[in-house]
Amino acid sequence: MKLSRRNFLAWAGIAATGAIACNLFDDELRVQSPALIPEDLVSGRDNWYATYDISTPGGQGLLVRVMEGRAKKVRGNPRFPTNQGKQSAAADAMLQSLYHPDRIAGPMLRTGPRGSGQFRPITWEEALSRFNAAVDTNGNRMLLLTDGRCASFARICGAFAEAFGGRHVAFGGAADDAAYRAAVQDVMGSGNLPYHDIAHADSLISFGSDFLSTWGSPTAYQVGYGQFRSSDYTHRRETTHVHFGARYSMTAANADKWVPIAPGAEGYAAMALAWGIAESHPESSYVQAITGEAGPGALSQFAPDANAGILGIPAEVLDGKSLNDFFYGMAHDYAAHGGLAIGGGGEAAAYSNGRFNASAVLMLNHLMGNVGHEGGLLPNPAPPITNPSPVPLVSLDEWRLIAGDIGSGATGLVIIHSGDPVHGLPAGVGMADALRNENVAVISASPFIDDTTVMADLLIPDRVALEDWGDDTLSPAPGYQVYAVQQPVVNPLPDLDPRSFPDVLINAATALGRADAMPSDSYEAAIRANVEEALGADFTDTLKNGGWWDEGATGSAPSPSANLLNDIVSMAAPAQMHGSGDFQLLPFAHNTVLDGRNAHLPWAQNAPDPITTVAWQTWVEINEKQARDMGLREGDVVNITTSSGTIQALAYLNPGMPPGIAAVPMGGGRAAGSEFATGRDSRESSNVVSILAVAANDAGGVTWSGNRCTITPTGDSMAVSKLEGGYTSREIGEHPAEQVFKTVSAEGGGH
Amino acid sequence: MPNAQFEHKWGMVADLDKCTGCQACVIACQAENNIPINTKDYFLQRRAYEWIRIERYWEGEYPNVKARFMPVLCQHCENAPCEPVCPVFATYHNEEGLNVQVYNRCVGTRYCINNCPYQVRMFNYWHPNWPARMENQLNPDVTVRTRGITEKCTFCVQRIRRGELKVESQGGNRLNDETIAGGNYDPACVQACPTNALMFGDLMDDNAAIKPYFDDVNAHPGHGEHDRETRGYRLLEEMATKPSVIYLKKVDQYPLPGKGGH
Repeated sequence: MKLSRRNFLAWAGIAATGAIACNLFDDELRVQSPALIPEDLVSGRDNWYATYDISTPGGQGLLVRVMEGRAKKVRGNPRFPTNQGKQSAAADAMLQSLYHPDRIAGPMLRTGPRGSGQFRPITWEEALSRFNAAVDTNGNRMLLLTDGRCASFARICGAFAEAFGGRHVAFGGAADDAAYRAAVQDVMGSGNLPYHDIAHADSLISFGSDFLSTWGSPTAYQVGYGQFRSSDYTHRRETTHVHFGARYSMTAANADKWVPIAPGAEGYAAMALAWGIAESHPESSYVQAITGEAGPGALSQFAPDANAGILGIPAEVLDGKSLNDFFYGMAHDYAAHGGLAIGGGGEAAAYSNGRFNASAVLMLNHLMGNVGHEGGLLPNPAPPITNPSPVPLVSLDEWRLIAGDIGSGATGLVIIHSGDPVHGLPAGVGMADALRNENVAVISASPFIDDTTVMADLLIPDRVALEDWGDDTLSPAPGYQVYAVQQPVVNPLPDLDPRSFPDVLINAATALGRADAMPSDSYEAAIRANVEEALGADFTDTLKNGGWWDEGATGSAPSPSANLLNDIVSMAAPAQMHGSGDFQLLPFAHNTVLDGRNAHLPWAQNAPDPITTVAWQTWVEINEKQARDMGLREGDVVNITTSSGTIQALAYLNPGMPPGIAAVPMGGGRAAGSEFATGRDSRESSNVVSILAVAANDAGGVTWSGNRCTITPTGDSMAVSKLEGGYTSREIGEHPAEQVFKTVSAEGGGH
Repeated sequence: MPNAQFEHKWGMVADLDKCTGCQACVIACQAENNIPINTKDYFLQRRAYEWIRIERYWEGEYPNVKARFMPVLCQHCENAPCEPVCPVFATYHNEEGLNVQVYNRCVGTRYCINNCPYQVRMFNYWHPNWPARMENQLNPDVTVRTRGITEKCTFCVQRIRRGELKVESQGGNRLNDETIAGGNYDPACVQACPTNALMFGDLMDDNAAIKPYFDDVNAHPGHGEHDRETRGYRLLEEMATKPSVIYLKKVDQYPLPGKGGH
């Protein structure tokens, strides 16, 4: 066969950027590189490339359909161990970042006042010259601020900061989960987040966390949930899901039974169930192990009747039982028989007692003997690569210090990549004010303008995920070692000129004489080294699969420490709320916009919220009866005031929300950036995080669930942009245009 | 029909016990089928385009409350009320059981929309448009519909056709559950659904996983509902539209006070 250019590409397998097609759909796929396909090639054939999306919670292995050099669709990678061929709405929406009209097209220099959003294009030569000069001058006072990516990205960023005497920190997002991570360390004895094997559980008891929507690894958990609820033609598996939570979330709505509890009482609810298990199964070896053979008496202080006020469970859901009988029955019926406790993180861990809440939930699995078993809590092993470079997340107090250092000029250079702490931290932290310090150079490598990037002097836009390399060790992994690889599946469009940020760092270090400090010559080389040297795997095969995993490399089940129960008991305390007011403010991560990181993606914005069906706007969910008693109607603009500020939102009357709860989605109220993120006024798009108190929880994280607030009508109202409901019919003539018609008709003219 | 060698009748099953309301199907459909961005104004005018939507129903009130989720798409009815009212034969039933909309025949009378009891047909009130750069991601297999015509779910007929071409015409094998899923020939919503609440298959294939549900519902129509062995039912069954979509009832272990089981 003659080796023409085209069939060479078909056989070559790997090319310049090395994108490797998977061979999953036999007839559809050829092994070739989109990087070498001429842009005008019209073959009518599509190719599928395996890659990975780190932007969604838990990460997802994806296949991308590429046709004529353009990415057309993403879907879950059937081989990938967590999402198993499925994808979330947010993952589908991720495609829009590629062809987004508001991408930063190339390097730019600020021309107006800081924060004005006025920039002019410059060449990469000028941009890199300025970048290198800034690092050369202020490298030892550099703060490299990235989002929560781990593995090679974190390793390169960390090495770069260290090479010049600076510091690398990561902003994990507004929905801070510090307390859950700390609890995992306490209870599991490891920093590797455990996996919940929902698929094989017989019963599921969840606490607070919205694991079907945004917490943990929601797409993987949804896949497991589908198996949890599997059925043959006539009968469903005898499985039960009970959810304890203060907010009527998507997870609460899907549970077989929702037990409303007071905000921050997740830990007490878990301990009440622990009491029930100990009382109903005192002879259990697991109970003996956890209680130090003290038996049920060790948990007597958590008897639910004694903590009724803290638990706040309405009598109507107790089936006519006392609290003690209710929890005892639940423990007897299913908690002690293959029950899986899930949650304690996310909004449950965002109270002052978040670490206690999360620890208590994790401990329940020990008490039920359900750690390290199929259908239980699966401990994860250490990541498979030798230098996993954990994400340098920092506490709220450290963020305050960081903001102080920027404001005072102790930090001389801030390099930002994708994390948006101005939007994602409470306004009281002072990050926005700090970045106004003109004596501090601010450089951003984000592909999009956001509230932090708009403060930059210099923009050096990174490639987006489908154009660049990346890797991840998954958090949580599915109980065994996984190394996910993101590969560039398309080239940037001709009118875009981004550059891979890790490569920019490596090149800058080289130019400044510190190439020796960098782990590799390029971002791709770092990933290739991980695959070939650390894993001993074939690079091409790894790319075709979308990663590497070893189902045999499982985590070992830890024995609970002898002091575990005592430690948890000593942490036990009701949640302390900041501020005052009739309502408990419960922010939550939006199903598709998440904590705001997807606010620029129209598909994420136009996906109706599962509970309210609202799209595009910021709403506050209030108990329907309570709202009516307050004289509120849907769409009324209300002021939500905490001790730290006021925002506005549209009232949504929710028949499921407990009285006294004001639930507001995160992600709204962007001040700068894409028209899709900013194109609405402050009455219908606001940032709930901005009004949170600057208060740390028992693990140093933000207490984003722990604020009281007042809700007051403004007298204004707006139509709520939502899917549900019908269009109200009205009399012809009400609309001004129709009045003209009517007038003309009345005079006998017109039609 | 690309390959007359194999007859098909396509159908879908939606298990409401598994549907979590997550919207993955909605956005996957929007991405696959070149559905315009639903702006805020589209929602305000109740004209958002969603070929598949998640309906959320409230039962009860706090604290005994349930939100129910139901994916609703074109039911591809065997006795489709939308078909006989079209004056220009833009909508018709094809030989594979699909309710088909021929865009370049449609003149926009909207009779079909009025006559559809499931409210799954959308009228294009606006010219479809995307920010210029986003046109790069449009699916070349799917027509971009113009203003003034009706559109709706096709069961991703472009994927079905591709499967018929690749597997049947070129491969000589009948499409089945395995080759449909393995070749990415199932509708985008079914492929995306994380809990596998949506299942798709060929009712002419005796081994199709969805077939027993249809057999059961067809064997016990109307008032025979209580004799069914499965949880299957059709939407608005009493209208005798005979949808090609069957729903499986939610299993309600903790029914609300005053409500029965499932």
